[in-house]
Amino acid sequence: MPVLFLLMLLQALTQRGFLETQGVLYPQAAVNDSGHVIGEVQLRYEGFYKPWSNFQIAGALDLRSDTHHQTERVLRLDWDDRGRQRPLLSLQRLSAQYRHGGLTVEAGKQLVRWGRTDIVNPTDRFAPRDFLTVVDNEFLGIHAVRATYERGSNTIDVIWSPRLTPSRIPLLNQRWFIPPEGAPAFELTRDVPAGSQSGVRWSHVGFVEFAAAAYSGFDNLPSFEVTPGNPVVREAYPELRMFGGDVGVPLQLVSIKGEAAYFQSPDHRADSYVMYVIQLERQAGEWFFVGGYGGESITERGTQNADFNPIRGLTRTILARAGYTIDTNRSIAFETAVRENFDGLWAKTEYSQAFGQHWRLTAGFTLIRGKATDFLGQYNRNSHGVIVVRYSF
Amino acid sequence: MNRIQTVFGILTLLSLSAAALAQDPQAIIREVQARAKSASQRYEGTLTVIEGTNKVTEKRWSFERIGSHGDSKSLLRFSAPAEVKGVALLVVNHPDRSSDQWMWTPAIGRERRIALQSRSQRFFGTDFSFEDLEERDIEQFDHRLLGEEQLEGADCWKIESKPRQGKVSQYTHSHVWVRKDNYVVVQIENFKKTELIRRAKYSNIQRVQNIWTAHNIEMFDAGRKSRTILVFEKLQYNLPMKDENFTIQAMRREP
Repeated sequence: MPVLFLLMLLQALTQRGFLETQGVLYPQAAVNDSGHVIGEVQLRYEGFYKPWSNFQIAGALDLRSDTHHQTERVLRLDWDDRGRQRPLLSLQRLSAQYRHGGLTVEAGKQLVRWGRTDIVNPTDRFAPRDFLTVVDNEFLGIHAVRATYERGSNTIDVIWSPRLTPSRIPLLNQRWFIPPEGAPAFELTRDVPAGSQSGVRWSHVGFVEFAAAAYSGFDNLPSFEVTPGNPVVREAYPELRMFGGDVGVPLQLVSIKGEAAYFQSPDHRADSYVMYVIQLERQAGEWFFVGGYGGESITERGTQNADFNPIRGLTRTILARAGYTIDTNRSIAFETAVRENFDGLWAKTEYSQAFGQHWRLTAGFTLIRGKATDFLGQYNRNSHGVIVVRYSF
Repeated sequence: MNRIQTVFGILTLLSLSAAALAQDPQAIIREVQARAKSASQRYEGTLTVIEGTNKVTEKRWSFERIGSHGDSKSLLRFSAPAEVKGVALLVVNHPDRSSDQWMWTPAIGRERRIALQSRSQRFFGTDFSFEDLEERDIEQFDHRLLGEEQLEGADCWKIESKPRQGKVSQYTHSHVWVRKDNYVVVQIENFKKTELIRRAKYSNIQRVQNIWTAHNIEMFDAGRKSRTILVFEKLQYNLPMKDENFTIQAMRREP
């Protein structure tokens, strides 16, 4: 009997994951970081348990470390992912999903993505990121209850999250934090708001696909409050309201995608602004091209001293991406972002090859150039090469 | 005498009808479609991709379809290799136009619509293009009988299919071989003008729940000189399935 039960349990369980090692080489030294080489290792295990056809539990566990103290050295199970460093052992996802007809409800820690465009997504408000390496970031899960109701070609997505998960910003003693010139040493304190965040998105699928979204909560990227003479800089997450939408039009020659949002805050320190992205996509043989423009227009300037916002940092920018599939196992990819005033450039090239059923090797180089006053250009000493070996299971 | 005359008359009528059917390519294809019709289908597929350099890779997917031909939806989900486990493709076929397709990639948590101009692209490193994963419906093509040929020892009709207006296709026309004895398609050659783009060979034909079904499809990409062999396993028809399991939300639900 226990064997039968175990077999039933195993039948309802599916799993996947990977073990990844990564080496990053920075040829140039940085002002606040003497390290040139960083080694990272990450083990991810994902499991899905589906005891009934309409109920599923999904979980993902990360075990990671590195040579540069980007990851904590304390072994504890982290459920929040709200620390300044990456946790050594963390639950990336643990959620229960129930489905009835067109209604799906998922509760727990989960990844939520909104928006349609690639590279920059103004409406993607429930997706904080790990920006320890600013130009090569990854998404963080949030605690939320998500209800999705799909009927015909329309879907309503309602999300409530009890508290904010802030994006992870660069560490002060590492190269992706650029200290302001001439600034004295300072300490950073964090003030993460306790309130909840919520949002709703209606999307329609047809020849033209479109969506409208609204969000109320907090910015997951901080602004900084500096008091003259005080060595403590306060990191704040201003309240934020967002109204936006996205559209996709597949034409004979190209597909057009657009996404725009208006951001407004009752907090006088935060800017009110409109952010938009328009992009064209085209497939030609084994080539895939995406080209677009990300723009921003500030409608009301806030009183904040400074902020860290890589999303806004990629606006007023021409964005492009191209990929070429060499064969079943090999591909190359190019990505670039060029500021419209040419003050900043980010260009990434990557070669990837699979070996057998489980192994993949990726090698790439990222070039960053520009003026220190530009968001992209300030990282001009952070061009780097990377090599990644992944074993998937 | 009258009875013999009646029987003779009926037989003559039947043979004339059969001859007429045999000469009408539209009717042949309609019969192919009618005999293959099922309310739903499920199988597990093993794909062996053999590159022109003889490098071999293997992939696996599970496939489910509800409805038939121009009025159907299908969802396929990769189970191997490990790095693409969970990647899914939803195809919504329409009777009067090209299908709609969306792909779900769990690693980025986003679905992506496959644009019409991308349908000629290889599907995940196989020799099937996205378009080849659509279900063909008779009403989207004009058919012309090119003749009769033997293929793998079986008598076949060779029929030319040209997409009608409204059906966007990478192929200008196709040659379809239909076995005369059981109305099963055994080969399709897809052309762009006079150039052969892909050839699909259907073999290991077995009767499953009264439907003659090829259990092997070998797709040959003439440009790349590579081929993919899809082997059907655990194939079943007419299983109870729900429409709500063939939507974008269903595609996003893992695994």
